[in-house]
Order: sequence, then C-alpha cells, then structure tokens
Amino acid sequence: MSVEIKNLSYTYSVGSPFQKDALHGISVTINEGEMVGIIGSTGSGKSTLVQHINGLIKLTSGSIKVYDIDLTAKKPDLKRLRSMVGMLFQYPEYQLFEETVLKDVAFGPMNFGATKEEALAAAEEAIRLVGLDFDEVKDKSPFELSGGEKRRAAIAGVIASKPKILVLDEPTAGLDPIGKREILNLILSLKKAFVKTVIMISHNMDEIAEFCGRVLVLSEGRLIADCTPAELFEKEYSLEGTGLTLPHTVNIKRLLGQKGLSLKGDTLSAPALADAIAEALRRRV
Amino acid sequence: MGIIELKNVSFDYESDNTLSRGVKNLSLTIEKGSFVVLLGHNGSGKSTLAKLLNGFLLPGEGDVFINGINTKEKERIFEIRTKVGLVFQNPDNQMVASIIEDDLAFGPENLGVPRDEIIKRVDWALDAVKMSEYRSGTPYKLSGGQKQRIAIAAILAMLPEILILDEATAMLDPRGRAEVMETAKRLNKENKMTVIHITHYMDEAIDADEVIVLNDGEIAIQGSPEFVFGHPEIIKEAGLELPTATKVAGLLREKGFDIPLVLRDEELAEAVCQLR
Repeated sequence: MSVEIKNLSYTYSVGSPFQKDALHGISVTINEGEMVGIIGSTGSGKSTLVQHINGLIKLTSGSIKVYDIDLTAKKPDLKRLRSMVGMLFQYPEYQLFEETVLKDVAFGPMNFGATKEEALAAAEEAIRLVGLDFDEVKDKSPFELSGGEKRRAAIAGVIASKPKILVLDEPTAGLDPIGKREILNLILSLKKAFVKTVIMISHNMDEIAEFCGRVLVLSEGRLIADCTPAELFEKEYSLEGTGLTLPHTVNIKRLLGQKGLSLKGDTLSAPALADAIAEALRRRV
Repeated sequence: MGIIELKNVSFDYESDNTLSRGVKNLSLTIEKGSFVVLLGHNGSGKSTLAKLLNGFLLPGEGDVFINGINTKEKERIFEIRTKVGLVFQNPDNQMVASIIEDDLAFGPENLGVPRDEIIKRVDWALDAVKMSEYRSGTPYKLSGGQKQRIAIAAILAMLPEILILDEATAMLDPRGRAEVMETAKRLNKENKMTVIHITHYMDEAIDADEVIVLNDGEIAIQGSPEFVFGHPEIIKEAGLELPTATKVAGLLREKGFDIPLVLRDEELAEAVCQLR
C-alpha cells in the first residue's frame, strides 16, 4: 500500500457564498508499483483529490495515509510527505524561476534539507535522467530552453528529491504528438528507476488506455469507476455525463459491433485494432 | 486576391547572436470565409505565422496582406488588429474584467465605439457564442471551454473578419474542446467568418476546408483533409500523427484489405462492413 484514502470529502470556502462541495466520500487504495490514471471533466475534483495526497490541501474529513505518514495526525510530517510525493502541476514550465537550470532543479533537494553538494549532485542526476544535455543546459537560464525542454527541466526539479510517488497533473497538455510520447516514455523510464508509483491526471483517453493499468473516474466529486481501462470502455455507460469521450479505437469497435461485426481480444491500440478487424473479417469469409 | 496573402515571407528570431528560423519563404493565400486548420509540431512556425497575420510580428522578408493592407503600413496597424482577432491557449490569461459583459466591452471601448453600439455588440457576441445567460456573471467560475468562448466573444465584439485560434483548445477537456470547435464552426458557417485554427489535435482538422501542415517554418503539405492525411509519410516527417481511423485503415491496407482512405470512425466502420 502506498496511498490509502478513506471516505475523503472536501468543501471549498466553507461558510462563504462561494461554498462548493468538491469531493464526496472518496475511498481508494493505491498500491506500490501501480500506474493509475485519473480522469474526469473540469471541476470533477481531480486536482482537489491529488492535492490532498501531498498535503497541499489540509484534510478536513476522512483519512489519508501515505506509507507510514498518517494525515489525520495532529502534526503530520509534511516535509517528509512532500519529499516522498513529487507533484508536477499543469504547465510546470511556468514554475521555473531560478537563474540557471542547475539551481532551479537543486531548489527542491535544498529545501528538503540536503547540503549544497548533495543537492547539486541530485540535480545533475535528475537533469541527465530527464534526457537533457547536462553540460549544455546547466548554466543556461531556464527561460532560454524550448517548450519541451522547459517541461523536462520542471520534471527534473520534481524528481531531484527522488520521490517514491509521482503525481502528475496533465503532464502532456499542450504538447505535440511527439512531445507527448517523449514525456510519457520519460515517465515510464522514471518508474523503472526510483519512482515506485505514478498517479496521472489526464484528459486524453487514448493516453490512459495505453499507459495506465488502472483508471479512476471522477464526476462531480464522486468516484464513479475504479477499474482497468479496458473494463471502463466496455461499460461505456459509466462515462455518460462526465464530459469525457471514448478513445477512437473503442468507438470504432463499438460502431463495428452495432453493424454486427464483433471484435475479440485487446483492441485499444491502433495496431491491435487493425489485427482484430483483420481477424474478424477473415473469420467471416 | 484572398483575405490573407503571404508573399515570400521569412521571419527569424534573434537572440544572443543566434538566429532561429520562425518561418521561411512562405507564400500562402487564404480565401474569405474559409475554415483553415494549421498543424505542425512545437517550434514548426505556427504561432509565428499567427503573429505575422495581425502585425504583432513584421516579416523580415516578404509581405503580409490582410484584405489588401500590408501589415508593414504602420498607420493602418490598428485597422489590421481589429480585422484579425487572436484567441490564445490559456483561458485564464485573456480576461481583463471581473464581470463578463465588461470584459466584452473592453475591446470596442478602446476602439472608441459609442456606448449604444457597444451594448448591441456585446449582446450579439454573447449570443453568437451561446453565453448570454452568463453576461453579468464573473469569468473565474466558468469552465475552461466557457472561458474560451468568452475570449472568442470578446474578439467578436470588435467585429473582426478573421478569427485565429492559436491552440485555443490545447488546455481544455474533451467537452470544452467540443464547445470551442462547435462555436468556431458555427461562426464560420453562419457569420461567414474566416477561421484559422491552430491545433495539435488531428481530429480537429478533419472537417476543415483546408489543412496546412508546417514543418521547420515551411509548408510541408497543404490541401483538403483527405489530400493531406492521404500522405502519411509527409505527416510523419512533420512530427504529426494520422487520425486513428486513417491509421487503422492504412494498417488494414497493408494486410491486403481493400479499404479506402478514411478520416472518421464512422467511415472506417462503414468501409470495413462493405468488405463482408
């Protein structure tokens, strides 16, 4: 178990005219080693949920445990929690701020109490891990980097403190197809290094289908599905009213089914779908 | 002559003695009333082109004409900027007022439009993006898609002839994207607005009148969606992907099935069932 959430509810701006229920009785356990996707439309509570996991939002109802840290305790060790749970916000390139890339990436470890030498060493390792050319970028201003490089630098800043859990809020938003794939492959390679568990918010169903073994669907603050992507797309009714759309591959399979051609096996990726269609056509001939 | 004409346009970015190419030797005609989708990977020159179209950037070489006016004519730059409206990526960065109708009035007010006329334009613009019921509300409580529709309305209030959406759907969820696309398509059809939509989503290109793919500042391919997506090698070279249905149809052709070029899920399903 790496994250255990029980009966979590949260209301914004309690007692003000803007009072808004954001989460209702969410219970979910995320195990070490999982890659979990969280989907839901704008305002469904995704960000509120993940911000609870590293203590950015104070727990007001329910309980959360991250490894041995109990957030219901009077004074949970938030510093240790945050070094354990790395959080990459949406458009993280806007959060770069230091004079050089090296200093920016070293900021996290320094903040968590590393010595200067340790922090710089951790920063170097992180910059190399995200695939940037260390000697070329270390003394550059982060603002001189290209869009894709900036996002990598921001990710380096998060992983420099070697978090066990990586939480990503729409890590591929705004990138072109190649940039998207590069970031997703980077996340996979981090998971092979020291990151044990990945929790990823995305609007992109195709991405979730391909990369996540488990998907949580939020709608109006409630957890309405917790299953594998394939199971979710089988029961597509659960997506109604969530503002989400099916991946194209699932939609094509569904349209073929309506026309009487049923496909077997995995059909989530384009090659798998083509194989299944070919197989079904040959079967009928 | 098209509403937009580019003649041998080049633009370089200069920093620390290094030149990086924005666009090079672009020539292009966009007809009035057309819906054009501009595709290209990050850094391919899409946004540079958008900024050249409203005189935000001026070409290093060549000329850009909007309705026959050269963007280099300094004294007519405001005329060009009212004709060409831009909506950007981030819905939170484009609001200037805390009440929606005030936000819409900001543009025409700056242009010195009389008050009665402003009120008429605000009414019309809100109606055009189907957001009339929110007029006295505050923008910060809206969803991303609604905010982008307000940003479009704020442009409409200045009565532009060309609407440029510079990755305006990139930060939105599927519902928000659909809302913005529907709004842009409706403005194009009903108001004869010329729309240039810059995007990374191939899906959003399949209904366009014309698709232009930029790669390293040059036009890699240009034409109808069927023509453009019928050249997978160029699409790949430009760092883009085919629509899923097109990709699957291509894979089936490789396996020896007689499937035509398709763009939409429904077309693929139809074509597959024809084979039975």
